[in-house]
Amino acid sequence: MSRFLNFDTLSLHAGQTVDPVFGARATPIYQTTSYVFPDTDTASSIFNLERGGHAYSRITNPTVGVLEQRIAALEGGSAAVCTASGMAATFCAITAILEQGDHIVASTQMYGGNISLMKNTLPRFGITATFVDPTDTDGFGKAVQDNTKLIYGELIGNPGLDILDLEAVAKIGAEHHVPFMVDATFNTPYLCRCFDYGANMTIHSVTKWLGGHGAAIGGVVVDAGNFDWGATDKYPTITEPYAPFSGINLWEEFGPSAFATRIRAEAMRDIGPSMSPMNAFLLLQGIETLSLRMDKHLANTKELLDYLTNHEQVSWVNHPSLPSHSSHELAKKYLPKGAGSIVSFGVKGGREAGKAFIENTELASHLANVGDAKTLVIHPATTTHSRIDAEALAAAGITEDMVRLSVGLEDVADIKADFDTGFRAARRFADT
Amino acid sequence: MYFDVNGKRVFATTGGKPFDNDKHAVIFLHGSGLDHTFWGLHSRFFAFRNYAVLVPDFPGHTHSDGPAVRSIEAMADWLNDVVAALDIKDISLVAHSQGCLVALEFASRYPQRLRSVSFIASGLATPVNDALITAAENDPDAAIAMMLGWGFGSAGHLHQGPIPGSSMVAGGRKVMRGNVPDALATDLKACNAYKNGKQAAAAITAPVQVILAGKDRMAPRKAGLELVAHLPDPEVTIIEESGHMVPQEVPDRCRDLLKAFIFKNNRAT
Repeated sequence: MSRFLNFDTLSLHAGQTVDPVFGARATPIYQTTSYVFPDTDTASSIFNLERGGHAYSRITNPTVGVLEQRIAALEGGSAAVCTASGMAATFCAITAILEQGDHIVASTQMYGGNISLMKNTLPRFGITATFVDPTDTDGFGKAVQDNTKLIYGELIGNPGLDILDLEAVAKIGAEHHVPFMVDATFNTPYLCRCFDYGANMTIHSVTKWLGGHGAAIGGVVVDAGNFDWGATDKYPTITEPYAPFSGINLWEEFGPSAFATRIRAEAMRDIGPSMSPMNAFLLLQGIETLSLRMDKHLANTKELLDYLTNHEQVSWVNHPSLPSHSSHELAKKYLPKGAGSIVSFGVKGGREAGKAFIENTELASHLANVGDAKTLVIHPATTTHSRIDAEALAAAGITEDMVRLSVGLEDVADIKADFDTGFRAARRFADT
Repeated sequence: MYFDVNGKRVFATTGGKPFDNDKHAVIFLHGSGLDHTFWGLHSRFFAFRNYAVLVPDFPGHTHSDGPAVRSIEAMADWLNDVVAALDIKDISLVAHSQGCLVALEFASRYPQRLRSVSFIASGLATPVNDALITAAENDPDAAIAMMLGWGFGSAGHLHQGPIPGSSMVAGGRKVMRGNVPDALATDLKACNAYKNGKQAAAAITAPVQVILAGKDRMAPRKAGLELVAHLPDPEVTIIEESGHMVPQEVPDRCRDLLKAFIFKNNRAT
């Protein structure tokens, strides 16, 4: 093997060494807490980061390791760390480099959990955030302060679906010497590899399209390895000696994977939001078919966009692939295969009509998730984004009539028929 | 740590322990376009076993000031200047690929403080084809892709690796992109021009070890065995399953071999 492997091949093989004992072709589930050391020297070297290997599954596990290396390969990153959930990944990534008194510049259009983390939880630890409209690219630069240590956004904003101008924001980050972290859950590396446009780290809720089956929760932080942590003294957690590991200097020792190593050495050890081996196995099964599923998601999305934009009971449809969307040109640039399978739309008749639609669809599941193989619908204002205040709700582009649709892989004719039922139930509100 | 050599700033990692020149030393030399991080799974091991470890970035590579050095002979002279600047004694030299050519020159011309030399994945010379040199001059990303493509065996291409969650290939790419712009081309031209391998090998008096890789496409087994034939009584191991990037592809095996050899010939006090 002397050439670089392509995306679909990596989706199936990256990170896995075929089991040398039994030859198992599938990645084995190493359902174990701990690992027998062959001798004391090996044990001490693993604990002291002198060599690779596993000591305790809170920190590393062979099955989880395969998933980490597979996602790193698909993203083009130098290292990845899996966590129990996407939110755990975000928290671990932020706290790996920020501490009391530090500041984040973040997009207003993000998953509600991200907004709540930065608006409510992190300030309790002395970390504050300024939120910027993702379409106001210059606003990211204007919001940078002396204590800003992170720029954070989602490529496809949730739920307004505005596209973040990755290259422009990455350039702002580079000018201020601030790393740029992207929650890439909605795009997956199949639709866009954010590192190709200058991002420095990505976060995924692996639960969503990467896993795709809705059977396992998981998250991951991917380190691009392209940020020069040593260029300033702003990032002591990476560039200064780290006492718990004999004063190791992660930047000097690990270079392009220093950030990921900090998460592994600190967050996974001291906080412990580990992914279970079983979940890693399930998520690996999903990734094996990522491109096939994404293509079907996109094909179904295209058909449903035609259906919705021509439906008399739909007041508006929002998707970056529509020429009417303000981010249409950016979507063509960053997401040439398609701008994802989340669609938002308004049902004529407002809140009650939206509610009637959701309650009368049978195939489309009403639940708080996206990126499942099955079609999902939800009312963001009363669910996923209900814990953020009215001002932030408006800033995120969420209206009371908004239905968020996560397009699944069913036969699209069946989805349309199901929606017809929902719209029939909503009709009486549209007429009033 | 940073220190000055000939008025230029040099960076070297010391394996996580302060550098103490009273201790027996292990100096690791990286290959073309790479840097100190190549030895991450070896340097810390020796530093925590009472050796003074030094893993310098060659000039123009990652943290060391440029420009890159233009010949293997000059790199050996630069290494001798490093040794003099830090007054390093009782040295075990561990080298990979291009670093081995530097080690050949250094060991043959500056043997006084040398206690052992370990050559990993090298021959007496490293001829480089014109296409790679041209790419390194005009399209470094293409050259980096060629080198990583040829350099890593299957494990690298499958993004497997000894450190959970890390990709050797992607890490290597980031390192190679971090050098001064002409570092890779300068390295490759220096390798291609080096012709003194036979004479240098024959002049070495320190104990030598050679570790070759069965799937090495950059320093094939035949070339490695030619090096073996010209060295005085080398300890030779061929790791069949590895590609060129032995210290990263099979670090545990490589470390065990280095440990046995260095502990025998340059035992830390």
